[in-house]
Amino acid sequence: MSAVGVLVRQLLRFGFFAGMQVLIVGQLSLFGLGWCFLYLGFVLFLPLRTPISLQLLLGFCMGLAMDISYDTGGLHAAAAVLLAYLRPWVLRLLTPRDGYDAQDTVNVHQMGWQWFMVYLLLLVGLHHLAYFFLELGSFQHPLITLGRVGMSILFTSTALLIIQLLFFPVRRNRS
Amino acid sequence: MRNLIAFLLRFQGVMLFVLLEVVSLFLFVTNSSYQRAAFFNSANTYAGAVLARRTQVLDYFRLDELNHQLLVDNAQLRQQLYPPDFTRREADSLPVGRDTLGHIIYRHLRPDPSQALASSTGLLGLSPTAKPKKPNPLARPDTLLLGGARIATRDVEYPLVPARILNNSLRAVDNYLTLNVGTADGVQPGLGVVGAAGVVGQVKAASEHYSTVFSLLHSKMAIAAKIKRDGTFGSVKWPGDDYSHALLDYIPRQNRLVRGDTVVTSGYNAVFPEGVMVGTVESFVKEPDKNFWTVRLRLSVDFSRLTYVYVVHNRPHTERDSLETAATAPEPAPTKPLVKPTRPRR
Repeated sequence: MSAVGVLVRQLLRFGFFAGMQVLIVGQLSLFGLGWCFLYLGFVLFLPLRTPISLQLLLGFCMGLAMDISYDTGGLHAAAAVLLAYLRPWVLRLLTPRDGYDAQDTVNVHQMGWQWFMVYLLLLVGLHHLAYFFLELGSFQHPLITLGRVGMSILFTSTALLIIQLLFFPVRRNRS
Repeated sequence: MRNLIAFLLRFQGVMLFVLLEVVSLFLFVTNSSYQRAAFFNSANTYAGAVLARRTQVLDYFRLDELNHQLLVDNAQLRQQLYPPDFTRREADSLPVGRDTLGHIIYRHLRPDPSQALASSTGLLGLSPTAKPKKPNPLARPDTLLLGGARIATRDVEYPLVPARILNNSLRAVDNYLTLNVGTADGVQPGLGVVGAAGVVGQVKAASEHYSTVFSLLHSKMAIAAKIKRDGTFGSVKWPGDDYSHALLDYIPRQNRLVRGDTVVTSGYNAVFPEGVMVGTVESFVKEPDKNFWTVRLRLSVDFSRLTYVYVVHNRPHTERDSLETAATAPEPAPTKPLVKPTRPRR
């Protein structure tokens, strides 16, 4: 794929995730506690070989767009940059026995359920912990905040899994 | 060599990571201050337009609820227009003493009714065309009852700006609202925002057509309030857990409290007019290590279904601010007598 094609494709993905988040998913809440961070899918589902600095910049842009929409200053951006920074480490941690293939992407059909769920829950969990405790500034209401973190992990992971099952191609070329 | 490049690349990643984190944390920490360009929040033109469009679409699914809310508001306003018969009645005379026989002496407060009638008919006789031109006072009420306080709606200099909420958060620690009015409608940072049921928040930033508002549900909002029954004043803060409750601080322990007491704004911080409802006292406890009651309020505004609000100007704001800064200035002018400007009580 040419460079322009990649650029257009990523721009469309950015628009899709940001639009879904702001227009639809941001209004919903799970049991009055959980909130859906659907836009994380943009960072989480980037190609595996994206350079780290590009990932960081993209995460920052996405976070800033959310901050502007939700008036949180730089909170989403800080958490999203952290997520983008942790992603290569988690990928390295989860490397399959014979390394990643060239055509591997973050895809539940390709990489298998176990790999995908560990990847998703680990990164989403870390992001939500960082986000909610940063928002709190201290540990005033630890139980409520943990409840929020738990519910949000449930909500975000389910939404991202649905996105994967709906939009990502089924190509069983691994195992 | 490859190791060196790999090392440099990783180093670059860390550098960029730290830089971006510092930038975003700086933006986050300075978010609550007023002195920020309206770009990095939802009053930004593009974000505002997107949110306005979303509200337009979503409103179609809520028309029923919106109509119901407007009906309730209308019913309350209509109740004001049709007061009971005796509200305007006043005594026409007062007992002022007794004469030598023991009869009570009354002093009439108004001129004789027959004289008043004669003068009014005389007026009518002089200008018979005056009557049809007289505006019907009920057609355009000049005050609006918001949260129990009367606020003028038709002041040319300081209009009450009606606004539609475009974006509303409830579950964050610091919540904000986005309104569809901006500087073009006369909204400026620092003004109060009031809903039909009571206090909502304070304007944080305004662009030309949109503005961002600190919700009452914000960790740094404090509203000067008082208990309506006895005038004890305190400060309302949101503890950050539940959007239907807040805390009333600084009520001394020796004061008596009653469950269900109404708490209204005191007008001390010159953001809200005096007497706008905040909530009712739901519970109160004495905690051993504090000098004040811990009072829990049920907020009168239901933030989860807030739709229309009004941006209010508290009239003597600039006057009072300049007076207070003059009073706290190191050398006040001692010779000039401090005349407090009187304004007609509403």
